[in-house]
Amino acid sequence: MHDTIEARGAGAASPARTPRSPSIGRRILRALAPLPWIGPAIILIAAVVLWPVIEMAWTSLLKVSSSGKTLGFNGTRNYHDLFAETGLVSVLLRTVVWVVGVVLVTIVVSLALGQLLNARFPGRRVVRWAVIVPWAASVLMTALTWNWMLNYSYGVVNKILQGVGLIDHPVNWLAHPTQALIWMMWVAVFVSLPFTSFVILAGLQTVPQEVYEAARVDGAGRARTYFRITLPLLRPALLVAAIINVINVFNSFPIIWAMTKGGPGTKTDTSTTFMYKLAFVGSGSVGESAAMAVVNFVLILVLVLLYLRAVGWRGEAQP
Amino acid sequence: MKRHLTGVIAAGLTVTLGLTGCSKGSSSGDSGDNKTIRFVAAIYDDKTKSLWDSLIKTFEAQNKGYKVNLEMVDWTQMDAKVKTYVQTKQTPDILNYNAFADFARDGLLFPTSDVLSPQVSSDILPSFVEGDKYKGTQYGMPLLSSVRLFFYNKDIFKKAGISAPPKTWDEVKTDAQKIKDKGGKGVFPLGLPLGAEESQAEFFMWAMNNGGGYVDQSGNWAIDSQANVDTLNYLKDLSKSGLTQPNPETTDRKDVFNQFAQGKIGMLNGAVFMPAGFINKVNAKLPYAIAPLPTKAGGTPSTLGVQDFLVAFKNNGGKKKDAVSKFLNFFYQTNNVANFQKEEGFLPVTKSAGDVIGKAVPYDKPFIDALPNAKFYPTGNAAWGPLANTVKEKLGTAITGDPKSVLSELQQTAQKNG
Repeated sequence: MHDTIEARGAGAASPARTPRSPSIGRRILRALAPLPWIGPAIILIAAVVLWPVIEMAWTSLLKVSSSGKTLGFNGTRNYHDLFAETGLVSVLLRTVVWVVGVVLVTIVVSLALGQLLNARFPGRRVVRWAVIVPWAASVLMTALTWNWMLNYSYGVVNKILQGVGLIDHPVNWLAHPTQALIWMMWVAVFVSLPFTSFVILAGLQTVPQEVYEAARVDGAGRARTYFRITLPLLRPALLVAAIINVINVFNSFPIIWAMTKGGPGTKTDTSTTFMYKLAFVGSGSVGESAAMAVVNFVLILVLVLLYLRAVGWRGEAQP
Repeated sequence: MKRHLTGVIAAGLTVTLGLTGCSKGSSSGDSGDNKTIRFVAAIYDDKTKSLWDSLIKTFEAQNKGYKVNLEMVDWTQMDAKVKTYVQTKQTPDILNYNAFADFARDGLLFPTSDVLSPQVSSDILPSFVEGDKYKGTQYGMPLLSSVRLFFYNKDIFKKAGISAPPKTWDEVKTDAQKIKDKGGKGVFPLGLPLGAEESQAEFFMWAMNNGGGYVDQSGNWAIDSQANVDTLNYLKDLSKSGLTQPNPETTDRKDVFNQFAQGKIGMLNGAVFMPAGFINKVNAKLPYAIAPLPTKAGGTPSTLGVQDFLVAFKNNGGKKKDAVSKFLNFFYQTNNVANFQKEEGFLPVTKSAGDVIGKAVPYDKPFIDALPNAKFYPTGNAAWGPLANTVKEKLGTAITGDPKSVLSELQQTAQKNG
């Protein structure tokens, strides 16, 4: 009790100044004592995480010539140019549709898949392996395969749909922005399913059987058991799955690049492919592209924080 | 305790510094030797690499101690790679690319007079030299050129009852309608690639035959001119009437060239390299013929000439000038350059190679004849590189959107870049 009052009086923010400490140097040294052990990790993080972020933010303030040569400081001009891009607003809106749509569908389907993989049935091991396949295959390969399957003249999708009688004429799926976006979202869901369903499967396996037994004894039905017991207990797993998927899907480049390159124009671009195009395809402004990268970085931070807030995160994602 | 800790930190720092030191050392190591040059070349087809390989082998045998490290880059990767080279200061010593003016503006290049012997310089065809200059100084060296002409499938034309290739835009439309009606199942009347691969070329070919283009008589940007708007409206109408392949805005040139080779397209703006690169691979007996590009009202047809360049980067204060110059002068020897262009199916860029190829390849004659009326991109303008990329990206959207607003956006891009 006495301690607390004293600490408040002395200013809790600077405990180093409390008279009991032997000497400032010694205290600093003691604080630094763990450094040899965590030092390498800090250096690694600084080198591969912090430094690129700083470099990115710095580049967004530079004037980079169309040839790629750095010409000097550019202030906020890159940001002005970026926000003056005609396609930007629709690209950002499309990014939201893309991320929310893909992640939502992925999680709903994965919940079902996770349940299936958790059930006991003959051949379960084979099914579990089969679900991993889209994960093991390269995303670019998957996207290219779908690109061919959706081809106007040779694609198998048109052949099948015509054979079944759903369409009369072949459809140039990837040429129409809306259709193309839906197909690409489907591919994104397809490649996100394995990871998500396995995270959910892992979550399902941590739910103790006794809880279910108790529910059965109390006479809860299947739906009630699922929504009142399984889902709440899956929360940590869902949280991890959702956040990792949001980040992955937001940053997803190969699917869109392999299937439409964001075209026609910027009509199927997300902010990730748009960023690439600003630097390497369009008028070739590396600085403006870096500005887009900074905006993307902030967006994804905000998106994740909003999500954490919405689900009332209290550190439960940590083990 | 204190000494121990300091020791550990010191050891840790030494290790990290040592590591970064090593990586620095190895990256700058390759530039130490003034006789070794790095050459980044574009892949035109399957043969390109072996052509360069054998040229380099001969060069290295003739010039002891000199070495050329060849890197092949696909055209789809080229823009991104080149920009990264410049930004990370890893420019090759010689680059094969389709633009040079913004490098010249930023002072990255040797003027050609520094690296080419006077004989070679004077051997370059005069029609190309103008497009090799930035502000009056020549920086680009033409590697090869191509000219576009109108290709049509004689079988499809016969089936549709068309006796001669169309000369005017009205004839293009009526002929396309005939092909649509009678040309056969699954045949698209006109191939119109306005996708991201090369829409800047396709648009220019139609626009120049309507008196339009990228710049006006005095060299100012004129992308949003009425002639250009009319051109896009005409093409938009063709597409809407179902006279082209579906969705020109997402169709790449290679797609329609392939379909033409398969006999699925009646007519299109083809290129000199189409037989070597596309038709002969699929069906060498394809009954095609070549004609001048159709014009709006039947005037003198112009066509698009394209030259790709070699440029020499002034790396490390230009200390490799001697080696770069040796290799370039070697390449521009008549037989070397002629053989390269002949094998690749492109047109010559030097007078002496022109004589060799003109005799050896009769197919090239109509294209060489078309050169005097060919128009080139404004490659000497530093804004052209970025503009071309934006055109590729955005022009196709005019087919589904509003041509006028697309063109005025492009006009703004051009003016913003200079």
